[in-house]
Amino acid sequence: MAAEEGKVYVGNVDVAARRARDILLGKLKLEDAVDWATSFSLWPVHLTTSCCSTEFAATFGPRFDGEQFGSLPWVSPRQTNLIVIEGTVTRKMACAVRITWEQMPSPKFAIAMGACALDGGLFYNSYNVVRPWEVIPIDIYIPGCPPRPESVARAIVELQRKIRRKHLAGEWVRTGWRPDREPVKPKEDVCSWWRG
Amino acid sequence: MAADKLSTARQRAEEALKSIGVSYSVEEGANFVEFIVDVARLKDAALALKNAGFGTVVSVTATDYPKKNTIKVVYHVTSMIDDEVKGAIIGVGVYLPRIDKPSMPSLTGVWLSAEFMEREVFEFFGVEFEGHPDLKPLLLIPPLAEKRPLRKDFVVREENIYEGVPFSNVG
Repeated sequence: MAAEEGKVYVGNVDVAARRARDILLGKLKLEDAVDWATSFSLWPVHLTTSCCSTEFAATFGPRFDGEQFGSLPWVSPRQTNLIVIEGTVTRKMACAVRITWEQMPSPKFAIAMGACALDGGLFYNSYNVVRPWEVIPIDIYIPGCPPRPESVARAIVELQRKIRRKHLAGEWVRTGWRPDREPVKPKEDVCSWWRG
Repeated sequence: MAADKLSTARQRAEEALKSIGVSYSVEEGANFVEFIVDVARLKDAALALKNAGFGTVVSVTATDYPKKNTIKVVYHVTSMIDDEVKGAIIGVGVYLPRIDKPSMPSLTGVWLSAEFMEREVFEFFGVEFEGHPDLKPLLLIPPLAEKRPLRKDFVVREENIYEGVPFSNVG
């Protein structure tokens, strides 16, 4: 059958729309859909604070293949929703971490990686080290010095489970607020030295 | 092998320093030799060493001696291309008075690779390098660099493992 001039053939739009509505709104709650979609698109931003980043890179290499969890490191904080603190955060780097975190769109999540990100680790009681949980809210901690790539992959899977179990992303989108905790604000302006 | 190269390098450095008439004292250890010169003649000594073949700075470091009331700044230099002294490291250094802002000439004009290391010595010890092109803190934030963290009288309060130290409570 020849196509009539001036018309575009796209199939039966009414039927397709009805089916999509049933799937998205009738059988599945929209929050659950958001949780599901967010948990399989956790894109970490490329912010290398310290030496754990080599293990982080290995996680997304061919052997461990972090991309199978729907996670892909991306360059710009504006298009990402996960930040992985890789090791020590110095006082100078704390400013960069906070700026990157504030640029990322909600819902967003954070993973702290390595002993230094927990309590200082090797640089415990140092004059130049900041604990990342004073700067941004952390969801998952990975112990180890450095953690194996399997641990990083496990942390991503645990974060996916946490998002879907507690409906973090869906609630965040619906209410504009994170359901399980208050937002972390640094006690002191971490960029005061930079603004002058 | 390494000892031969070190003795060759030492001989060469001594000849270079004697040829321009710089008086020096030698401090040596297991695998290193350091020539301590006067602050006023440091630049001449550095130029003589560079002309003698020591073309690369591998480290610029300082040591704080509160009991002797001095700060020692040492440039460790080596040669990357001369096979006779390759790998042997020679130090040329000065003793400075331990005051708030001790000052010495910058050797960035002689060895370009000393620039960032001099900035590091500046922020950690407060030594001011005259003639440095860009003397500002490199690794530390400026308010912390003013406290001279690697001097011996800098104190970090011991951390409570349950609470931690507040963000700004250092020094």
